[in-house]
Amino acid sequence: MSNSLDNRLNPFETLISEQPANNNRPLKLNVGGQLFETTPSTLQRGGPDSLLFSLSTILTSPIFIDRDPQIFSLLLSLLRTGRLPSLSLQFSKEELLEEAQYYGIEALLKKAMAPPPLQGFDMSRVAVIWPENSGFQTKKGSFRAVFATSGDGSLWVAHDGQITGYDSMLSHSGTFRTHIDRISSLSRISPLTCGIGSEETPGLHFYQLLGGQFLGSVNWVDPSDPRIFKASVTAIDSSETNVFASFECRHRENCILSVDQSSLKVVSEIGRQGGSSAKAMAAMKLRFLKEFGALMVVSVTSGAFGHSGYVRLWDLRSGGVVWEWIEPGSGRSGRFGDTMADVDADEVLGAMFKVCSKSGDIAMADLRNLGSGDPWIYLEESNPSLKNSGGGHGSLIHCYNEQVFCSKESGLEAWCKIPGTEHLERETVPERLLERETLPEKAFRRNFVERESRGVITGIECGGERLFLSREGSEEIQVWETRRSSGSFLA
Amino acid sequence: MPPFAGPPLQKTQFCHPKRETPNIITLNVGGQIFQTSPQTLTLAGPNSLLCTLTTSSLGSIPFIDRDPDLFSILLTLLRTGTLPSRAKVLDPEDLIHEAQFYNIEHLLISAITDPSSFYPLNLQKTLILPINGRDSPSAIATHQDGSVLVSHGSKITAFDWSLRRKTSFLTEFPAIDSLLFLSPSVAAAGASDYSGVKILDINSGLGIKTLNWDNPIYSTVQAIGASPEFLFASFESCRKNSNLIQVFDRESFRPLIDLGHEEKQGVEIGSAIPATKLNWVSSQALLMASGSYSGPFGCVGSIKLWDIRSGSRVAEIKENEDCFADVTVNDGIWGLFKVGLVSGEVYMMDLRRLGSSERWVSLGEGCSKVMNGNGKREGVNSKIVGHGNSVFCSRGENVEVWSEVLMGGKEKEGVFRKNVMGRREKVGQSKITQLDFGGNRMVLARKDEQAIEVWQGSGTNFVNWGWN
Repeated sequence: MSNSLDNRLNPFETLISEQPANNNRPLKLNVGGQLFETTPSTLQRGGPDSLLFSLSTILTSPIFIDRDPQIFSLLLSLLRTGRLPSLSLQFSKEELLEEAQYYGIEALLKKAMAPPPLQGFDMSRVAVIWPENSGFQTKKGSFRAVFATSGDGSLWVAHDGQITGYDSMLSHSGTFRTHIDRISSLSRISPLTCGIGSEETPGLHFYQLLGGQFLGSVNWVDPSDPRIFKASVTAIDSSETNVFASFECRHRENCILSVDQSSLKVVSEIGRQGGSSAKAMAAMKLRFLKEFGALMVVSVTSGAFGHSGYVRLWDLRSGGVVWEWIEPGSGRSGRFGDTMADVDADEVLGAMFKVCSKSGDIAMADLRNLGSGDPWIYLEESNPSLKNSGGGHGSLIHCYNEQVFCSKESGLEAWCKIPGTEHLERETVPERLLERETLPEKAFRRNFVERESRGVITGIECGGERLFLSREGSEEIQVWETRRSSGSFLA
Repeated sequence: MPPFAGPPLQKTQFCHPKRETPNIITLNVGGQIFQTSPQTLTLAGPNSLLCTLTTSSLGSIPFIDRDPDLFSILLTLLRTGTLPSRAKVLDPEDLIHEAQFYNIEHLLISAITDPSSFYPLNLQKTLILPINGRDSPSAIATHQDGSVLVSHGSKITAFDWSLRRKTSFLTEFPAIDSLLFLSPSVAAAGASDYSGVKILDINSGLGIKTLNWDNPIYSTVQAIGASPEFLFASFESCRKNSNLIQVFDRESFRPLIDLGHEEKQGVEIGSAIPATKLNWVSSQALLMASGSYSGPFGCVGSIKLWDIRSGSRVAEIKENEDCFADVTVNDGIWGLFKVGLVSGEVYMMDLRRLGSSERWVSLGEGCSKVMNGNGKREGVNSKIVGHGNSVFCSRGENVEVWSEVLMGGKEKEGVFRKNVMGRREKVGQSKITQLDFGGNRMVLARKDEQAIEVWQGSGTNFVNWGWN
């Protein structure tokens, strides 16, 4: 893993300067019969809780440790330089991790092995995850993998009724069976718990990820209305304290329930609606926007006359709708007949992005400046050969770290910001500087990641500088990363 | 007091060299110096060469004239209990040979085939073991160390725990129907059309003893079973009019007691059905014996539970409707499991509540297909085996695994959920005829295939890295 660590190791330098002088005295270690010489300050880089930190205060020398010397020499270079030497490729990741855990420096190792920042215009497929013993129950072709990731790049995949976990090094960390036969939504609520829902089995269910222990269920009930019965979950997201789940009854009445994470009890009911028209359908996507204290609710359905749906922003404190966008509708939209296929939001940019179902264009709306008019700014690609990417029917859109990933059937596009184009608002740019290049619609460039002929993309998730992709009819989850090694080989 | 508090100090592996010098042991293996602690070396076990070094190493450094690279792998095995990844590039034979030299093969076995590392949802098809000759496997037996015995025709092939070495030997049976491991080197075999249970030495292939029911002139063996103390054999007379289960001492093979001697009376179908499966229920110290008879008007059978000490029958379950195709006991989850011959569904009965009017509970999707009218037998040839906390059932070319999901609640209730093992893509395989579990392995045989399939959890990593 020859990842350079960029600026992430800066804290080390300050650490050295703060230490008293005797921390630079030579210190001898005898690991499994091999002698190592280092300084206490190097050993202390693992953090005060590590075993090596406590060894560094011992004055007798040499200190004997009954472990494998080869792996220790790698971990010592990790402590010295902050990077793993290439010799570490001889060892499996599990072995390195186990040994690092023994010395208490696994956080450092994980940091050194983490992928570099994800750049949508420079990604390569680094791995394919294919869980064992996957769903036989679904017919071939109709399979849809449901997966969730988190900030450390670990992945949990739900295939039919079971959930398989992969840790931040993408090593398999466990599989368990849930009581549900077909999981259709999965969300990580905390590093150790997940919420799952199914279109067939009613209720929102919570499981402990390691060990697979069932924690409890939440159902939508209304004592005053007996028709609220057997509501299934269509989308899940969570904030730090609450879980939001969209419930839909058999007769299409739906609402969003806010559930307290610690007690697993319903706190409030948001946006109950009848489900009789496209603007009152159950949500297919929930995004909690922490910066704005709002919940973004997206519902798009595809029918004989094309896509229709809505985006709503709910203020969680007041419980009211802050902003709403319905397509097709109201005549506010500048693009009649080119309705949205999917919407997502990027909190860092403070912007919302949609993909149009007919033209496949991407539009952006400033979350801080949503008025009553049409907020959408349609992104333009200045390279004429890249202008058309095909229609956006059934496209998915996913935002991650100021980048927008959009699927076009089996292909994937990444819209990345051009460095230096910081002006999002047209009004702030002085009139004389208003050149074409500084316009917000010119701030992003389209990049085709790869056009694979097989399998329409059914899911995009990003986390831990990785992009995960699932395709229709396949149980594989593709893992994409930006890689620093050139991948050159001898001609 | 430990010299430093905090992170995991599993064993006292650290020591101050100046105060407690003998706490570090220096070894010279093939010219390379290794240092370790006596605690690590004692983990090798009292019979090991390494353990003797802990006491005798005062003064000069002991020299062992062996390969240092292989030793460093075995030392890691001693320290961590797992094999390092650099062992994977080696031929396992090298390691086995080296481990035998140091007498720590048992550690190698437990690192590779440890039954506690058996996770049913992580199994994948890892190995195919070909067997020679034209006969396909008629019986499989497994040992808990992961070794496998296969009978094909009149031959038995034994694969050792590493599945790298095999021996075959010829028996006097025309075909073998029951096969059982008694120890890693001793097996019991029987045939439903040949007289007597043969106790065989696996290494030499020679018979040690033949166990016979001495009442009639000639009696066939319908099933063999074993508990830690006893060996059970279900005998039927050659005229098929009487049968019994005989209990033998597992060490001396002395007959101890006869269970359920039955003589056929008249023409009644349900009487005197010999037991074709013998399962030991260790949690209750009972023997489960099951047998069925299939006639033109359907299939009838019975499942009996015997108390060995008193020789009495504790419970009997009569099977008239949807008789079992196969029955098994899973001690870990207190259940008796059957797969219905007609419906093909998997049923469970609570072992703890047998005597009462306990009934079979279907684990399936709830839709009862018991009388499906068309006369099709959905469960025919299905095998059911309990292992770990799961129940495995073969169905056609696939294996289903039923695992319990604990739902909490008042009585810590669980529900059973099904998975089909393997990936969906694999089609066009033949039907499974034999299924067994040993160590961390699932072993199965398919119809008309001269090979055994071995399924294992391949370590922990299932990720297929693109650049490898």
